[in-house]
Amino acid sequence: MKKIISLIKACMTDNMQLFKIKSKSNKKSSKVILPIILGFICMFSVWSYANMFMEPLVKIHAEYVLLSLFIMVSFFLTLIEGIYKASGLLFNCKDDDLLLSLPIKKSTVLFIRIFKFYVFELLYNSIFMLPAIIVYIRYVKVPFSFYVVSLFILLLLPIIPIIISSILGSIISRISSKFKFKNLAQTVTTVILLLVIFYFSFNMQELINNFGEKANVINKFITKIYYPCNAYVKMSTNFKIGDLLLFIFINISLFIIAILGLSTRYFKINSNVKGVKTSTSKKDYAIKRNRPTISLIKKELKKFISSPVFITNAGFGLVLFIIGIIYITLNFDKMTNSIIIEGSITLDEIKSYIPIILYSIICFTSFMTSITSSMISLEGKSFNILKSLPIKPMTIILAKVLMAVLVMIPLILIGDIILFVKFNFNILESLLIIIGTILLPLISETIGIIINLKYPKMDAENDTEVVKQSMSSMISVFLGMGISAISVFGLFYGIKIGLSNTLLLLLINLIFSILFIILMFYMNKKSVKLFNEINV
Amino acid sequence: MIEIKNVTKKYGKKKALDNVSFDVNDGEIFAFIGHNGAGKTTLIKAIMGIHDFDEGDIIINGKSIRDKGIECKKEMAFVPDNPELYENMTAIGFINFICDMYEVNIDERKKNIDKYAKMFEMKNNLNEPISSFSHGMKQKVAIIAALSHNPKILIMDEPFVGLDPKAVFDIKEVMHEMVKEGKTIFFSTHILDVAEKLCTRVAIIKKGKIVKVGTMKEIKGDKSLEKVFLELEG
Repeated sequence: MKKIISLIKACMTDNMQLFKIKSKSNKKSSKVILPIILGFICMFSVWSYANMFMEPLVKIHAEYVLLSLFIMVSFFLTLIEGIYKASGLLFNCKDDDLLLSLPIKKSTVLFIRIFKFYVFELLYNSIFMLPAIIVYIRYVKVPFSFYVVSLFILLLLPIIPIIISSILGSIISRISSKFKFKNLAQTVTTVILLLVIFYFSFNMQELINNFGEKANVINKFITKIYYPCNAYVKMSTNFKIGDLLLFIFINISLFIIAILGLSTRYFKINSNVKGVKTSTSKKDYAIKRNRPTISLIKKELKKFISSPVFITNAGFGLVLFIIGIIYITLNFDKMTNSIIIEGSITLDEIKSYIPIILYSIICFTSFMTSITSSMISLEGKSFNILKSLPIKPMTIILAKVLMAVLVMIPLILIGDIILFVKFNFNILESLLIIIGTILLPLISETIGIIINLKYPKMDAENDTEVVKQSMSSMISVFLGMGISAISVFGLFYGIKIGLSNTLLLLLINLIFSILFIILMFYMNKKSVKLFNEINV
Repeated sequence: MIEIKNVTKKYGKKKALDNVSFDVNDGEIFAFIGHNGAGKTTLIKAIMGIHDFDEGDIIINGKSIRDKGIECKKEMAFVPDNPELYENMTAIGFINFICDMYEVNIDERKKNIDKYAKMFEMKNNLNEPISSFSHGMKQKVAIIAALSHNPKILIMDEPFVGLDPKAVFDIKEVMHEMVKEGKTIFFSTHILDVAEKLCTRVAIIKKGKIVKVGTMKEIKGDKSLEKVFLELEG
């Protein structure tokens, strides 16, 4: 037991560093304030949503449905987040050789890996569950037992999603390890899996429409398919100590069984993942020449496509964008029929909003796809290679931004063209949207690189730590959400006060152009200094 | 020629380099020795423009690394102690990338890559991904990449670590060849026997300060370099 505690302590101390921001001052407070603020902002948003859901539930005295709904939502989010992370956190870790050389059981090594995974998912899960519990307490007079039950629920809730994620992550790693291009295979398998989950989640959306009326049906459905929901609702409304003990027993047993079960395959998969299938062909190596900028962009592109977690994280938003556009194109009539029947809006009016809706979607897609926010950190120790090259730091930085926008713009353009053709956009609107399609990714990626230069994480254990858990990627996501929300709000406010689409698009492009100029000015002034200050 | 003039580098209050000054002349093999954490890598990274320094200056062939960083770097090549290369690239992909950065024309890069790949017995491995290589093979790739653009100055941090005896022999041959062409080699090492046999001049650093610098004869006299080093360390 002492060994396990020492191991957990060593691994967690190392991993928790990633929540610290590299700053010149060594004051501990400066390193923890920002993550706490970000956490609170996120929890406040969830709290607002929970309140919104609670109001109709209070009317029909079905407050407990909020708990089951949020358990289900956090289950799906933790599961999706877990699938992204599992392969990176469980397999091919830098400290594999160290841990496996120690006189400890192999299942203990797997336990340490899954425990680390559990702690991250616990923090992530709490962001969704804690505000929902607070809202529930606000509306319902709860007994003391509810607090005890909620504490155990919070602690044990991530177990099932991380077990499923670990199993799926192992399957993905096992399948991909059989291929020569295992990273590509891992990316494809992960994307397919995530699309399947999203497909089911979209279908569940039908259930959530007219939430107040369907509350009991939703509750029945969720509690039937997911045991923790059923247990929590049951214990919250009618507490029995036996139910709580059973809940704890089931979760801990599942955790132990999963570790013992996975440990039989884990080490074989891990060594397969580490193995590299090399080419046996004796063909001559190719000596090619490129201009430095082209070569830098190619290097960035290679890094992007060779890191499954990087490409899945950044590319998934773009894939969803295209799928969303195709879905709108194919199902527009079906989607609009129900709104038109209610009589509040005509088909022509809906069609007139399409350019603004498209711009809003482009805005969200661009700002939520921050590729550059990880690109400096992903250099890791090889950052010194870049610093030793006879190339201006600004060229290196711009090559990263260029690569990111070259990935994003063509995909967004495909979506634009599909909607231009379907809805016969006029030339001016099309042109303004194309300007936005180029401008928004440029701004998003410029912001991303500035944030990453300011908050680099150069000593990450693996790509997952950089892409999913670093301060830089978190700030980029939250900032992106903020900018998108403000822009979309501005656009729809513009519609409300009667501005034409052309004027609105012109105005927002103008505002974003000014923002881009300011960012370029800032980047010219600061980014080289920040680049040179990064010491690896 | 490398001129290191009163270079001081601080990490917080600790001086990693304390008023370091010495010159490395053209056509010289210069060894830089010191115990772990003495400041060898810090100085090498400062020479390469990887890390900035607080005081002093470093002049590469008459140009300051601070003011004319790009021009200085064009004349140098760097082999790091721990070859953290781009694992997702093939060896030839990485070497081509480095050549692109130094804008090496296709004939010159072909000549150099062929020559050094053959010398370091890597010809059959250049199409393989770097992630499949051992430490020694990565070190060889880093060396081939460094030599592929014909640098005037070669800077190496612990170049012999992890290399097989044949590769160590080959590097020494390359060093002699470069020096014959009037080029400069500056490297750090812990292997004192190699330094003693190979180098024209040597500098010993202790806790960020240069404690001795001079020709091999001036430094060791009749003693062995190992003995002199241990006496200085003691």
